[in-house]
Amino acid sequence: MSLLEDVMGGGVRGGTSIMYAALGETIGERAGVINLGTEGSMLVGALGAYAIAVETGDPWWGVVAGAVAGGMLSGLHAYLVVRRGASQFASGLSLLFLALGLTSLFGAAYVGQPVVALGRWDVPVLSDLPVLGPILFRHDPLIYLSYALVPLTWWVLFRTRIGLLVRTAGERSDSLEVNGYSAARIRAGAVVVGGMFAGLGGAHLSIAYANAWFENMVSGRGFIAVALVIFAVWSPLRVMGGAYLFGMAIALGPALQARGSELNQFALDVIPFLLTLIVLAVLGRRTLSAAPAELKRVFENST
Amino acid sequence: MTATMAAPESDLATAPPRWRGPLLVVSRWVLALAGALVIFSALLLAKGANPVDAMLAMVSSTFTQQRSVEQIFIQMSPLVLGALAVAVPARAGLTNVGGEGQIIIGAVAACGTFLLLGESIGGPVLVLLMLVASALAGAAWAGLAAGLRLLAGVNEAISTLLLNFVALDVLLFLIYQPWRESPTGQPTTLELADSAKLPVLAGTSVHVGIVLAVVLVVVVHLVLNHTRWGFRVSVAGGNSEAARRSGMKVPILLCSALLIGGALAGLAGMIHFAGVEYKLRPGFGSQLGYTSFLACWLARHRPFPILLAAFTFAALSVGSDSLQLDSGVPAASINVLTALILLAVLGFTASRKKASA
Repeated sequence: MSLLEDVMGGGVRGGTSIMYAALGETIGERAGVINLGTEGSMLVGALGAYAIAVETGDPWWGVVAGAVAGGMLSGLHAYLVVRRGASQFASGLSLLFLALGLTSLFGAAYVGQPVVALGRWDVPVLSDLPVLGPILFRHDPLIYLSYALVPLTWWVLFRTRIGLLVRTAGERSDSLEVNGYSAARIRAGAVVVGGMFAGLGGAHLSIAYANAWFENMVSGRGFIAVALVIFAVWSPLRVMGGAYLFGMAIALGPALQARGSELNQFALDVIPFLLTLIVLAVLGRRTLSAAPAELKRVFENST
Repeated sequence: MTATMAAPESDLATAPPRWRGPLLVVSRWVLALAGALVIFSALLLAKGANPVDAMLAMVSSTFTQQRSVEQIFIQMSPLVLGALAVAVPARAGLTNVGGEGQIIIGAVAACGTFLLLGESIGGPVLVLLMLVASALAGAAWAGLAAGLRLLAGVNEAISTLLLNFVALDVLLFLIYQPWRESPTGQPTTLELADSAKLPVLAGTSVHVGIVLAVVLVVVVHLVLNHTRWGFRVSVAGGNSEAARRSGMKVPILLCSALLIGGALAGLAGMIHFAGVEYKLRPGFGSQLGYTSFLACWLARHRPFPILLAAFTFAALSVGSDSLQLDSGVPAASINVLTALILLAVLGFTASRKKASA
């Protein structure tokens, strides 16, 4: 395999869990709610998926369980933020701690347990394409599902009535109320769906990518996802590109090492975070002006 | 913004009799905490541990042994400073989620100072220099976020969060390569010389960090509530438009609040390093920053209640060790109780802010 195929294919594999989470976060933020608990939703999603896959022997039930677990955790966020008016940052971080504790409490039993994972499934014909084949079409089914979910999310957000309601909840929630809709319900729904996506991202991590469960295995990917949404200016299609970029930065180190190149591991690990900071700095004011208006209010008066 | 401005009015309009206010607050808190305990018990039960026994054992081993009580004070010191690091920027309307990174960078600076000067000087002068270095480094780390906010309008909650991961990589790089004590052993730095460790209070194992923490709580309280700067920061945080119109340099006020926050977090890193760990290792100070953030929220960003909140979380953390020993429940599961307490408090007591959500 060439370095290009290796790094880009690895970028797709490693970036997909981040992409699911970031896609979900995009939906929530479009409705005006930021969720730092995304990391937590990924964690419970990863454990939920792993546990159910181990117990039932069917990874697809694991996928369902991961989405449900992620959605349930973000449901708490929705309740606290939308219903009780709690701080989005404090609630999100609390949920991360809740997830860390819960997955430590119930995950210990699953450390080292073998699981029937979602295996690689090469797409007939397409996987034989030169370059594109190994990069895009020699993966597990959850990755193919994400190829469909990204445009679907875009279409729902920008071309359907539901999407319009979600975006209005983030831009002008008062006009929703005037027309007889409940902005609170729309937001809560968006946050829960966002959490389900994050749960799928966690599921991808444990039953398709690592094929293992270990404590705190999400290790910052949920936070990257939150940053990525801003990086991608709240657009699902750019989320996809950004997530693969992150995945590639992560895949570059091992790929170079396999070819005998001595590159500092930590210097490579830091690339995605620096990249986001730099992009935020360069796009700074432009990203902020593109932010959903009600989300901006959270930022401007974040306490 | 709207909440802080509207609150006094609505208080007057709907104020219940004076004695009912505190009673309601207290009963809400009791309910919130009891609810958190009940849920945690249910989880312990689900894991096959007897929750009553487990928690009684936790409480008794935490509060009846001198060693554990001392541990609480040792662990709460960096939490207090880390929480103050959230509270000061919060007064300016800023969200500092970067305690984690600022704490690490503070410890790195303290360690670097020791490695650089430990041979030539020692004792109180070195400790003092380490304190200064850590505060400056923490402020500089927060300053990156402040600069991004001023120059490019990057939200500080996001930038401080990302800088946490950068700081972690800086730490790992240093302890795996240039500062590694031995190329074959564990990846750690040289242990701090005894003369550079924080002195302990007479007759205990508690280091002087707790004194520093309490002093800084008082200082931060005074500065925020009784100085011109504190007043201006509050105005800038509450209503930046009004502040600008009255001629305040809002960006500088915001920036200084974030820098001071970073300095406090840097100090937290230093006292955890020179008072507890003595060397840098992977996972140094893990979650101290996030726990501090939550402690600050539990205290509603007010300096004196921060002492109580930090004490609570420190006690939980000390108790978690006995939970693991006595009941075989992983120590990290105490995070559940920490989170439940905060969630309950956020859910039960935040309803007055509902309008501003």
